[in-house]
Amino acid sequence: MQRQIDLLGKSYTVTITGEHGAQQFQVDDDKPCPAVLIDKKDGHHRVHMGGKQKDIQMAVKGETAYIHAFGRTFTLDIVDPVEQASQKTGKGSNSAMAPMPGMVVDIHVTAGDKVVRGQDMITIESMKILTVITAPRDGKVATVNFEPGKTFDKNDVLVTLIEKEDA
Amino acid sequence: MKDIKKVLIPNRGEIACRILRSLERMDITSVIVYHAVDADTPAVLMADEKVEIQGVTPVSAYLDVEQIINACKKTGADAVHPGFGFLAENADFARRIEQEGIIFIGPRPEVIEMMGNKVAARTFCIENNFPLAPSVTLTAQDADFIKSVKQIDLPLLIKAAAGGGGKGMQIVNEWKDLETAVQLAREEARRSFGNSEVYAEQYVEKSRHIEVQVMADHHGNIIHLGERECSIQRRFQKIIEESPAPALAPELRKAICDTAVEIPRKAEYRNAGTVEFILAPEGEFYFLEMNTRLQVEHPVTEMVTGVDLVQLQICVARGESLPLIQEQVQTTGHAIEMRLYAEDPENDFSPATGQLLAYQLPSGEKVRVENGFTEGMVVSSAFDPMLAKLIVHDVDRKAALEQGIKALKDTLILGVTTNTDYLVRILSHPSFLAGKVDTDFIPQYAEDLKSPTLNKEELNMLLAATALSSSEFVDPAFKVPEPHCFLGNWRN
Repeated sequence: MQRQIDLLGKSYTVTITGEHGAQQFQVDDDKPCPAVLIDKKDGHHRVHMGGKQKDIQMAVKGETAYIHAFGRTFTLDIVDPVEQASQKTGKGSNSAMAPMPGMVVDIHVTAGDKVVRGQDMITIESMKILTVITAPRDGKVATVNFEPGKTFDKNDVLVTLIEKEDA
Repeated sequence: MKDIKKVLIPNRGEIACRILRSLERMDITSVIVYHAVDADTPAVLMADEKVEIQGVTPVSAYLDVEQIINACKKTGADAVHPGFGFLAENADFARRIEQEGIIFIGPRPEVIEMMGNKVAARTFCIENNFPLAPSVTLTAQDADFIKSVKQIDLPLLIKAAAGGGGKGMQIVNEWKDLETAVQLAREEARRSFGNSEVYAEQYVEKSRHIEVQVMADHHGNIIHLGERECSIQRRFQKIIEESPAPALAPELRKAICDTAVEIPRKAEYRNAGTVEFILAPEGEFYFLEMNTRLQVEHPVTEMVTGVDLVQLQICVARGESLPLIQEQVQTTGHAIEMRLYAEDPENDFSPATGQLLAYQLPSGEKVRVENGFTEGMVVSSAFDPMLAKLIVHDVDRKAALEQGIKALKDTLILGVTTNTDYLVRILSHPSFLAGKVDTDFIPQYAEDLKSPTLNKEELNMLLAATALSSSEFVDPAFKVPEPHCFLGNWRN
């Protein structure tokens, strides 16, 4: 079985083969190695991998794993390849996404406006803190997707820019 | 003397739980008002009586004065303890409560009003010769504001007149950023406090934030309960507080505490309050503001003095004299509070949301936990992102720091990003250990405080754990918890 796992902004191809107790784990094109996960209750787990072991703390919800290890907490998402393809359109430098859930307070641009990288586009409020979302690159505003007073979730696309025109 | 038999709390979360515990100790019946989203929270379950309140948003319910007054009447509550946040510093609320013949556990409305408006509080200090930062105070009501502000040296702070909790505050390092900063501060001030008035103040670099807990009764008695060091801040909000303040000369400590008592005395203040100061590197100190309520970090003072501040507040509100005089206030050991926030220190401390899939807080005789959440609860953007506070107390600062690190390491929160590990890194930092703290600590040591980077093997461990935990990834029949896994697939 093969899936993409997103960690710290990077995507890894992970392959698991073999029967339980003798499973082989492979990242991208690295050499496969045996791996076992033991549930030690109350979030505690032990990973055995290629002769090494590490105690971690982990909770899983749906296809997301939350892990505490190595002095920090990580969120890992197992991505369905089909879903990933459909999400691609919202990502990248063609849009300004919401860094956290909140509400739109003020909009400083309208569709068709030329913007320069770093220019204020939209002011949002989250947990009573105001943040200005700026243009990720030079370009032209395609759409502003929320009106003042409207709420949005984390990663919602607030403003999109017109696809890069050829220089 | 007025009796208090039943207290209503128009608040939620850990502070509501905190007040409820004192009420229980004092054998006073408690009433909590709550919005539906909080129906299953510990505070609502702990209270003797509960009244549901409604609002367009959960926050608006907790700010609805009329609904809260109706809840008081309905339940026969004879007093209201506002906690902090929401209506705690709302003079109109205090006034309305008293008009209804209900006791407001807090200061007089006029003092709340004066101290609540930072410009008015500064004017009061100027008139009474209390020390203020070397700066010009201007209010932004007209177009000349930008021009006038330029009389002050950089860097400067733009602050909301009605401000507090770091909201409506902007730092300006370069003149080109001034206009945007003023606009943002005004807008945030308008939204947070319903008042867009802002003022500019010189920013004292490398300064410390030292505050003093005061307590006053209705008979003119006033005491302080020592100081708290609150310099470790991000977004102008405290995340670590301790008492006593490290490396503070006894004469300076005395001067600060003595000044702190004179300010509320002059203002004919009563009940619990906190006088905040900026302490410049050269040892001058300046009045910053006075908070006319219980403070988030009040437990550190309680740990070192052994005083229950909520109990004192209630005694004073009844009209009793303070049960102790200044000379009877004794402190023992050192206490540190660490605030656990649902936020991402790697991403400019932006608030985080999600479900608390794992929520394990430490325990032990040297650890006090102030908490309003339980495992499974959802942390939404509806409220302040503070989850809990861990307060440790030990014989000295070094021992307390060790307890603090242990308490944080015994904490496990999964499902929502928190600052837990970040707090460990602060407490372990050599400068923090040495007591060398000021309000620039977090930006100054940003590099040191970054989370450790992962090597390839560590990264693979995480990927393997994730892959092997996924029911879709591996056959769910093989997910057998220990010790059964050693018994093959057998299960009874």
